[in-house]
Amino acid sequence: MDTLFVSITVILAGGAAGLLFYRQFTLMKVVAIATTSVGCGIGFYFALLNLLQGATATVSYNWLHTFTLAFKLDSIALFFLIPIFLIPPLTLIYSFHYLENEKKSLRAGVNYFFFSILIASMALVVMSSNMITFLLAWELMSLSSFFLVMYDYEVYSNRKAGYLYFIFAQGGAMFLFAAFAMVHSHSGSFDFSSFAAIPEQAKLLIFVLAFLGFGSKAGIFPLHIWLPKAHPAAPSHVSAIMSGVMIKMGIYGIFRIYLLLDPATPLIGQIVLVTGMVTGILGVVYALAKQDIKQLLAYSSVENIGIILIGMGIGMMGVSAQNQAMAFFGFAGAFMHIFNHAIFKSLLFMGAGSVLHKAKTKNIEELGGLMKRMPVTGRSFLAGSVAISGLPPFSGFIGEFLIYYGAFQGLAGEKLPFILTILAIISLAVIGGMATACFTKVVGLAFLGEPRTDQADKARESGIAMGAVMVLMAVSCLVIGVFPEPFIRLAFSGIRDITAVSSFNSDAFILIVRQLSKTAVLFIGIFIAVSLFRKMLYAKKEIGSGGTWGCGFTQPTVRMQYTGTSYAYEMVEFFNPFVPIKNAYTGIKKIFPGQTTWQSEVTDIAETSYQRYLTTPMLWLINKLKWIQHGHIQLYIGYIIIAIIVLLLFL
Amino acid sequence: MDSILSFCFAVAIAPLLPAVIQKTKAWFAGKQGPPLLINYYTMIKLFKKGSVYSTSTSFVFKLGPVVGFSTSLMMLLYFPMAEVAPLFSFHGDVLILFYLMGLGRFFTILAALDTASPFEGMGAAREAFFSTLAEMTVFAILILFFKLTGSLSFYEFFSGDHTIDLMGEYSALLILVVAALYVVMLTENSRVPVDDPATHLELTMIHEVMILDHSGPDLALIELGAWFKLLFYSGFLARLIDPFHADNVIVNGFLFYLVVTFIYITVGVVESITARYKMPQVPKFILTPFILVFFVIILSMGVMQ
Repeated sequence: MDTLFVSITVILAGGAAGLLFYRQFTLMKVVAIATTSVGCGIGFYFALLNLLQGATATVSYNWLHTFTLAFKLDSIALFFLIPIFLIPPLTLIYSFHYLENEKKSLRAGVNYFFFSILIASMALVVMSSNMITFLLAWELMSLSSFFLVMYDYEVYSNRKAGYLYFIFAQGGAMFLFAAFAMVHSHSGSFDFSSFAAIPEQAKLLIFVLAFLGFGSKAGIFPLHIWLPKAHPAAPSHVSAIMSGVMIKMGIYGIFRIYLLLDPATPLIGQIVLVTGMVTGILGVVYALAKQDIKQLLAYSSVENIGIILIGMGIGMMGVSAQNQAMAFFGFAGAFMHIFNHAIFKSLLFMGAGSVLHKAKTKNIEELGGLMKRMPVTGRSFLAGSVAISGLPPFSGFIGEFLIYYGAFQGLAGEKLPFILTILAIISLAVIGGMATACFTKVVGLAFLGEPRTDQADKARESGIAMGAVMVLMAVSCLVIGVFPEPFIRLAFSGIRDITAVSSFNSDAFILIVRQLSKTAVLFIGIFIAVSLFRKMLYAKKEIGSGGTWGCGFTQPTVRMQYTGTSYAYEMVEFFNPFVPIKNAYTGIKKIFPGQTTWQSEVTDIAETSYQRYLTTPMLWLINKLKWIQHGHIQLYIGYIIIAIIVLLLFL
Repeated sequence: MDSILSFCFAVAIAPLLPAVIQKTKAWFAGKQGPPLLINYYTMIKLFKKGSVYSTSTSFVFKLGPVVGFSTSLMMLLYFPMAEVAPLFSFHGDVLILFYLMGLGRFFTILAALDTASPFEGMGAAREAFFSTLAEMTVFAILILFFKLTGSLSFYEFFSGDHTIDLMGEYSALLILVVAALYVVMLTENSRVPVDDPATHLELTMIHEVMILDHSGPDLALIELGAWFKLLFYSGFLARLIDPFHADNVIVNGFLFYLVVTFIYITVGVVESITARYKMPQVPKFILTPFILVFFVIILSMGVMQ
């Protein structure tokens, strides 16, 4: 455990170095990145070692003589520490070439400072084992990430996004406070171990409160609306870490609360599963509907949170049905997907950042042809896209396979659990298909074809630090997909400390995993053989080149290419009215038509509902209460006195 | 040994069978139709040719045919044709195989988008949409088969204690599944009434428009892949409805391919007597079998308990 605190201290020192040396821009970047990375390295090594050895540890400190800061490491905490320490160094190395503007040196320093606090606080969140420690770390995490989102604070929309994130973070925290307060009122203790003892009927409400609180961080539907705003606003290495790692803290919280409460009611598993399905499907449809790459990726994170929740829900339903295989594979699948998503989502955000950096736009409709202009970014983005669509032989498939496997084990259930399991499998299939549509859209329109604007035409490859990191991550997506066994074993060790599944024997499944690996190798073998065969066929042949066949049309322009909007239109329309499309068409009115416009926009139904049913009535109410604020100081003092008297009477 | 021979035979015969469809259609139209070996001639012709590549395309365009062909070949490696054990099989292989088909689709779509052509983008969008809907039916069928046999592998579906058999105890349920799988086959292989391989406009529909710019050996790989895929689906159907079981492998194989040929003929008949649906109606058509299978799953709950 001490090693972990050393690692956190080193990480924080790296952040402080960012502030101290901001006058020497390059030196500051090197020192901050190197120190923080070393700290993460120590932590990663420690977490991996202890996870494999099955070690657990507890430690507690007295704080201000009133509170105890308690920390505990079990297999779940150690598993979550792995992405926390693995992804940030990579994104930091990427940021070396991403933060290039020397004039914003201080801002970059501040960015590194909060970045290190974010890493440290995430580690503390998963380590803590009482309410005080947890909430302290949680708030620290929310605040530091808020400052990271506000990097480009001059832009109005970024400020707005930051405030929205702040509201959701703090609103979510409020639910957590409520949940913890309820536990405290039953048990009188701050310690996490007191959760299990509280009465069964209170557990459901506590779980729902905590689920809402953690869900707003994780981005479950409809609490996700900050994600598609905050991610485009934040710098790309920050979105990478927030989407790849930080939103998983919400998942961790849901998981931890579930384990601590150890509820008997099957309802909780069903709630999680249904939320997962809704989040997954709507997430991917909205992702498909968006034309801003980073917004699209943010919605895709929502979708992946849905997949993880489906896995967790399957696991929880397995626990309550005492179906060990279902529980085991559900949880293991969720864990595997958490790990994989951390890698490929960070990779995709970094790819999007690289595009934004060089082409100066993240709108798919203005890009195109980047594969030739940015070969490294393009190829690694392609690998990440295949992985996130859950297609073998890349990593995304492995987690989904585990979840499918768990769900199929659950088909032995009766009535409601049976129906829900069927729906879970079907939703996973739909999510998979839609994710394919979504990422073929990004790759096909942004990276392939012809550039739609001059900016896209002039884009060139980004710096070596960015490229190297992306290639490394793309390769690891393939490696995990082809040789999944050690990684699946890692996920299995992660769920070792869940008592409901700890006695499950997974040896038979490891044989299946080896078969999966064999299939992937076989496929790659066939692929290489066919490629060679194709080369042979083309040897010494005439290879011509010309324009794309346009059915005889000889004057094509780049603007005639298929657009992202039209690519997605039919699919998105299929999900109407859950995904409303607004079209505006000026129409052709004269015999010799003038200029006419057609606009299509997809609005988030959650956002519009909040506006209609929450903020508008609230603003109306607050407007009515304006008279309280009149500016007379003597009356304000009167308010204070009344407030104190009321408090004295009731406390 | 049987497995290897069975696989080689399947690969060899895959180009022959689609000619049966063409013959059937020709017969309906009162024409003589192309010779039965037409597809082999086409293959040889295409393999001899070079290619013209659009200046818009990148390496992804060349990757499309290779990945598509490889994934279709994988299906034949894992599927038990003619009641012979496949070369490879394990518990859970159906999941990875249907996802590998997804990979093939992923790269076919990308290759289409790589040409910067508005037609091909349209075809790609349709392919992405319709195959997602068809996938729902496929997974519903897998759920049902798992419920009936407890297995997740093509080979196990048709061997072992519990098998899928139209003559067995769940025959009433399986008839609906056969109908559903038939529609999935038509959809996934771009046949009428979803798509028309003869491409008569509606901005040239799905599969054919996506491969407009491929030529020479690349086109040959795509065609071969498509034939393998069609053979896989009709083989799957044939295993469901095949009423003959002989002890001799050769006789069995002969009877199996007879059933497969019958399925190809029915495809030809469907193409001759029905018109293609308008594109907006296709989703409804593809969702119908899903409802059928879902209904069957609900029914199976009563049967199994």
